[in-house]
Amino acid sequence: MKMKLIWKLLRQHISIPQFVGFFFANLVGVVIILLGVQFYNDYKALDQEDSFMKADYLIVNKKIGALSGLTGSSNTFSKDEIEELEDEDFVERIGAFTPSSFNVKARFDVEGFVNFSTEMFFESVPDDFVDVKSEAWDYREGSDEIPIILPKNYLDLYNFGYAQGKGLPKLSEGILGAMKLNVQIEGNGNSDSFDGRIVGFSSRLNTILVPEKFMRWANKQYADGDAAKEPTRLIMEVNNPTDDRITSYLQDRDYETDEDKLDASKTTFVLRVIVSIVMIVGVVISILSIYILMLSVFLLVQKNSSKLENLLLIGYSPAKVSFPYQALTVGLNVLVLILAVVIMLVVRNIYLAMFENFFPDLEVPGIIPALCVGVVLLIIVSIFNIIAVHGKVMSIWKRKE
Amino acid sequence: MNKIQLIHTLPNVFQNRTDIVSDIWNQDVTFEKGKMYLVEANSGTGKSSLCSYIYGYRHDYQGQILFDGEDISGYTVAKWTNIRKKHFALLWQELRMFPELTAWENVEIKNKLTGYQKKKQILEWFEMLGITDKLNAKMGRMSFGQQQRVALIRSLCQPFDFLFVDEPISHLDDTNAEIMGRIMTAEAQKQGAGIIATSIGKHINLEYERVFNL
Repeated sequence: MKMKLIWKLLRQHISIPQFVGFFFANLVGVVIILLGVQFYNDYKALDQEDSFMKADYLIVNKKIGALSGLTGSSNTFSKDEIEELEDEDFVERIGAFTPSSFNVKARFDVEGFVNFSTEMFFESVPDDFVDVKSEAWDYREGSDEIPIILPKNYLDLYNFGYAQGKGLPKLSEGILGAMKLNVQIEGNGNSDSFDGRIVGFSSRLNTILVPEKFMRWANKQYADGDAAKEPTRLIMEVNNPTDDRITSYLQDRDYETDEDKLDASKTTFVLRVIVSIVMIVGVVISILSIYILMLSVFLLVQKNSSKLENLLLIGYSPAKVSFPYQALTVGLNVLVLILAVVIMLVVRNIYLAMFENFFPDLEVPGIIPALCVGVVLLIIVSIFNIIAVHGKVMSIWKRKE
Repeated sequence: MNKIQLIHTLPNVFQNRTDIVSDIWNQDVTFEKGKMYLVEANSGTGKSSLCSYIYGYRHDYQGQILFDGEDISGYTVAKWTNIRKKHFALLWQELRMFPELTAWENVEIKNKLTGYQKKKQILEWFEMLGITDKLNAKMGRMSFGQQQRVALIRSLCQPFDFLFVDEPISHLDDTNAEIMGRIMTAEAQKQGAGIIATSIGKHINLEYERVFNL
């Protein structure tokens, strides 16, 4: 009742067109910001089917030319070459691939329909380049379980080539992850059997990856002699994959990298820039609309200043007098956020439907990050509004001075 | 609050005038709770300024104003709000009513804040002042004399130690002025409060402790 009377007083002179103008302008701004955040997150999920490696990693090797075999020139990287590369300022950090110096045989059999047996090899990279939870990517000496990351190509080869041709069932990553690979390791007069646990498939790495710790131990155990070979491939993290210096540096030295991966990184990078620009536009629209709102509220306070002053004089505190306008602005902000989230969800459903045509088993992230951004914006803007309105009322309180 | 003291108080605008002859400006004056005072003044002698200084919405004076010995110049917003809600009631010369609201709502907006007077009491005052039929009339549609009576009722809807009435009967006939005087005195006595009335001619008849010439 008390608030009702005050509201009856203070709603005089409210300009509906001004508030509608603010509402839609701010709605556009907030929708753009939320969609930007959400779209970027969703896109990242597409891009990072390969969750084991960040997009900014490049794999570098030396070109194998027609002559290198004859001249005997090495295709390994010497210590000096690695150090030189490490000194370039586009390189964040660098790691070497360690190949296995022993024989590996793997057997994969699922009773009834699949039965593979093959010779293969292992490689390892420093663990901090592998983006798997550390407990899943850990090898303890003496354990006969080895975590393994396989190239995604292997799975595709089976599913779209082998299984298709033979009428065998197709396998998903999930099913394979639950199965064991029987691994036989031989060398240095030893022979042991291990269980390979597939922790995932990588489309970035064309190799069979095991933890560095296992590799070090196994090379010591099974290798015949010179275990410490120079690496043939390097993995490096770069700060900006679109940097032209990377391409020219690699060309100058006849190094090769996975070009298309470089392109993919470039796409991601460009997309990130575009999304950032779009979001900045959204932020600018929002700021301008909030500016309209504040002007509108200030005008309202000005028009109702004698009422506000009288309320203060009959004993209402500035906080109580400010409350209706603060509630009005915060209420509008909340309404904008709710509607913006709804619009974002609708738009997202439309683009996700398009995504799904290309990536049927796409797992998209939730909308929590976008919601958080929205709520944080709401809180910041609301605090700003509350302070501004209170300041305006205080100026009425002090006007008589 | 028991005592209001003015110590050499003088509005800044009178600063350079030497011809001020006043019982209040530039004097030591004390108003005590429970007593009634009349401040008589001519136009332009600073009557409304006096009210606004004591009510804390203007501070353009020199000298000191003390409440119970405490200088009011450093009072916080919260303290002033509390004083206006619980210690001083003021009937403004310019009334400061809300023309958009009805007479009843104008009183309610104050009484809801303090929760002090019973509805029955308020209705009784409306009845005594002969404006019961105006309860639901918009304030803006009422005559100044009628508004003055509503304003008095509103000013009584709170606990107070002092009641300031700034030319309360300027637009009232003698009968209504007398009724208003009775209501004010009764409420002040009930609360043990003091009354400070001002006038520029016709003044309300109360048992004044002292009459000041501003």
